[in-house]
Amino acid sequence: MSGRLASKTALVVGAAGEGNMGQVIARRFAAEGARVAVAGRNRAVLDRLAAEIGGVAVDCDFSDRASIFAMVDATCAALGGIDIAVNATGWGLLKPFLETTDADFDRMYALQLRGPFQFVQALIPVMEKTGGSIVQISSATATIMFHDHAAYMATKAGTDHMLRTVANEFGHLGIRVNSISPGVTETPMTAEAAAVPGLMDAFVKGYPLGRYGTSDDIAAGCVWLASDECFMTGETMQVNGGLILRGNPTKAAIEASVAAAMSAQE
Amino acid sequence: MGRLTGKVAVILGASDARSMGAATARRFVEEGAKVVLAARRKDAVADIAAELGGIGVGCDITDEASVAALAKAAVEHFGGLHVAVNYAGQSSQASVLDVTAEQLRHQSEIHFVGTALFIKHMALAMQQGGSIVTASSLTVLVQAPDLGAYAGSKGGADVYVRVAANELGARGIRVNSLAPGFTRSAMTEDYFAVPAVTNAFLKEMPLGRFPTVEDIASTALWLASDEAFVTGQRIDVTAGQALRRTPRPEEFI
Repeated sequence: MSGRLASKTALVVGAAGEGNMGQVIARRFAAEGARVAVAGRNRAVLDRLAAEIGGVAVDCDFSDRASIFAMVDATCAALGGIDIAVNATGWGLLKPFLETTDADFDRMYALQLRGPFQFVQALIPVMEKTGGSIVQISSATATIMFHDHAAYMATKAGTDHMLRTVANEFGHLGIRVNSISPGVTETPMTAEAAAVPGLMDAFVKGYPLGRYGTSDDIAAGCVWLASDECFMTGETMQVNGGLILRGNPTKAAIEASVAAAMSAQE
Repeated sequence: MGRLTGKVAVILGASDARSMGAATARRFVEEGAKVVLAARRKDAVADIAAELGGIGVGCDITDEASVAALAKAAVEHFGGLHVAVNYAGQSSQASVLDVTAEQLRHQSEIHFVGTALFIKHMALAMQQGGSIVTASSLTVLVQAPDLGAYAGSKGGADVYVRVAANELGARGIRVNSLAPGFTRSAMTEDYFAVPAVTNAFLKEMPLGRFPTVEDIASTALWLASDEAFVTGQRIDVTAGQALRRTPRPEEFI
């Protein structure tokens, strides 16, 4: 089979939501010739996707070490190895800093810092003889500001830095490690927000290219980082149309934009 | 269907078959682009351009009229301009205490003023949006002794890239830089002749091998293609050396 990922095996975690970023990445990988394992917590959704793309479905709870290691083992058993691994899991909690509880923070830490750490711990022994490419979906907010998002942003930033240490320590084994930082992306997770009049208008102003991102943009970035022609490692690639140059709107700017759109509708 | 089918690309700094510019031209043509190759001496690029079905143009990046003429040549010959890549560069060594104003100005003319004028004239010729890529350097990311004028002018150009990306996004033009690590090319051939130098550098590369001009070309291809929703960025192709350091001259033994 031709394609930029022909003869590669890939694992995409976080693909159990209909139409989510992980699913778009998995479909694109399959279209580029990879054999793909898709993982997450909703087996029925994963089974449908796996059947569609000729891949395999694997269960994983990313907050549980044993589950992460079992997922990697099951993927190796099914595909014979893992050349490419993408972590597209995440928990987009929006909560004021002072109201964020220890339980919130612990869950965020488990999903967005400990989980990625353990995922890489499970992957290195699998990739150490063959080399490979690990791609983490980070966030522009690991660098730029957004309100009421501290636990999310802090763990994303921590994971980016953890991955640099992995790139530094395991590069000699032919293992490349990079992350991709999307901005606001059109996904099922943001569909509800996008339906609020004026809300996305406030965000779009932050994009020099005049639109916010899509999961296809992120999948294209994943193909590039995953393919053998990429010689990058330890990078946080900003795939956000230049959002990083301008920044997200403040809470007040969003509220003003929504209010203006509402009054225009009346 | 190639990844650059229907695109016209200008590549400046392609006067040697071993250069990043020539490798990029070959890769772009494989992906369906039509190429305009440029260097200070037109005769130096004519043969490489002819082999690839493109045209060769003489261009001195320190001369604004010459840069404008390069963009015009692409539009006149191929009917448009969609991708422009700038590898024009020249290294210059001097310590901070020895550097002359003349050296600083000359390096700025090539890397800072030249890059800014390249972006200006290529963007003016891009009628339907496009992608501009310019070479930055590992020396911007990790300090190398005696390369202050070079690194400083390259670093200034990277800031200019971000400003340009912010301004030109509305025209559908993306602007990025690409920072090659210590890459074997026509420009670095002398360094590669000294094993003590290459050994010292190799120790600082997590990926355990030198970047090649083909690695740089494939990165330029990614940034040039419509799939890259990326602008205002410096993309590091240093084999991970940006995570470490540049060896000191006393280690070259």
